[in-house]
Amino acid sequence: MPVGYSIYVEKPSYVHQRIDPRTKLFALCTSFVLALLFNNPAYLGVLLAGVIAIGLWARLPLKSFRAYLLFALWFLILGVVIWPFYISQGAVVLRLGSMQFTSDGLLFGLAMGLRVALMVTAAGVWMMSTSPQHITLGLLRLGLPYKAGMALSSTIRFVPLINAERATIIEAQRARGLDLNRGNPFRRAVRYVAVIGPMLVRTLDMAQSLALAMEARAFGARPGRTMITEIRLRRVDWYILIGCVLLIAVAVTFRVLGIGVLVRGYL
Amino acid sequence: MAKPEVVIDVHEVSYTYAPALPLALDHVSLQIHKGDFLALLGQNGAGKTTLAKTFNGLLRPVTGSVTVGGLDTRNASIASLAARVGYCYQNPDHQIFNRTVYMEAAFGPRNLKLPPEEVATRVEHALRLVGLADQRDAYPFLLGKGERQKLAVASVLAMGSPILVVDEPTTGLDLRGIRSIMTLLKQWNEHEERTIVIITHDLHIVAEYIPRTVVMAQGKIIADGPTRSILSDGAVLATTGLKPPQITRVAQRLGHHGIPPDVMTVDEMLSHLRTALGSDTRARSGQPGRSM
Repeated sequence: MPVGYSIYVEKPSYVHQRIDPRTKLFALCTSFVLALLFNNPAYLGVLLAGVIAIGLWARLPLKSFRAYLLFALWFLILGVVIWPFYISQGAVVLRLGSMQFTSDGLLFGLAMGLRVALMVTAAGVWMMSTSPQHITLGLLRLGLPYKAGMALSSTIRFVPLINAERATIIEAQRARGLDLNRGNPFRRAVRYVAVIGPMLVRTLDMAQSLALAMEARAFGARPGRTMITEIRLRRVDWYILIGCVLLIAVAVTFRVLGIGVLVRGYL
Repeated sequence: MAKPEVVIDVHEVSYTYAPALPLALDHVSLQIHKGDFLALLGQNGAGKTTLAKTFNGLLRPVTGSVTVGGLDTRNASIASLAARVGYCYQNPDHQIFNRTVYMEAAFGPRNLKLPPEEVATRVEHALRLVGLADQRDAYPFLLGKGERQKLAVASVLAMGSPILVVDEPTTGLDLRGIRSIMTLLKQWNEHEERTIVIITHDLHIVAEYIPRTVVMAQGKIIADGPTRSILSDGAVLATTGLKPPQITRVAQRLGHHGIPPDVMTVDEMLSHLRTALGSDTRARSGQPGRSM
């Protein structure tokens, strides 16, 4: 999974520039609900394709999805390996001693992997197409207190700084003979204390300086504040929101009727 | 007299942080000899730190080579280079993480897999040198800035590297802190025969303590020689936006009174003045001054 500050990809696309961040957030939630309502890999596959299509509509390069899909691949493998032990319905495809592996078990595992892929890719598309400022702005307009919004956006803003600190600290400790690439994972993790310790201290230090600088400029003097960029829901946003609600309604109906549900009794 | 052996040989090194950026190092060649006490001088972005980071393999040259004690940094491990070149960072808070001063100073030697007795000896020695021996059990984060800086230096000294690189050792320190760090480094250089490279843009420190100066600008070395001749050469310094130290400039203005143009400290100035003006200054000679 890509971590860091560069998740947002600035593009002159309709999704980036014209759709309200609140609408996009609701669409993201819709995709989560849909992902949880179905457990048939075919349905989830179609939904995943839909999310990727939205991403391409947002002019995101195809390779930007790779990291999310690779991340989900682990869950896919894990799902296909583990779920057949629990799901016994369907045709038997493999016998190992007294164990039976059924086609439905394998497909259900596949569905669980696709579900993860769907959710992380949707979250990825959302973050790649919505700038941190807009995310914060959207949340503020949804009623988030603005101090919390400030905390959120400064967290995002500090990621590159903290990354630079981390690089410096690693260099400083390497100069003292710290080798982070040698030994088994456990020993390596223990060695990372030499990096995490100074990082915590530096981060607290930076946070304290920021707090001081903000207070010196009267942050929080008034309960509310105005924004440079204003957002408002336009007609397109309402269409999308209504569309999302309809999708959820249809999906719930399908669930009740058992359409798109491979194995009953499982989420 | 034959020059002492070359301990760091930088040969035609170029380095860039990203292909689109201008070269951070542009075909730099430099030889550092055993026992040198050398200042890398230049403005921010001149390439001082980049050059110094090639000494211990933190950065590997894109072209050219850096040889440290006969070892090419391109093929050497982190530990073997760390044992040869100690590198002390500008901000002590980038490296301090242990619960006690002692443990902090022991981190480096332990990474070198030295036997415990050897670690203890070296750490004690280093802490005594920097004057932190009494505070060996103190919590490092509660030390003052100057003491944390000293601890950072001690933790690198304790590794026993024959070569020491110190990046901006005096940032944020008051005059007393600066003096005690520089005196310490000077002793380490003179009594223990260590090679020391100091990265700085503080001319006064260079003038007072450091015999050899290398001036960098825009990724190139533009001057390399005895501090006295470089710091009194206004033309060379001007190309990097520096001026000779004030006392040197005063001396140069007083040239027609027989004051040499390469005076570096106030004490030197006073003694030249006494000679030039004769006995009438004796009464006012008073306290030896400070150069800063």
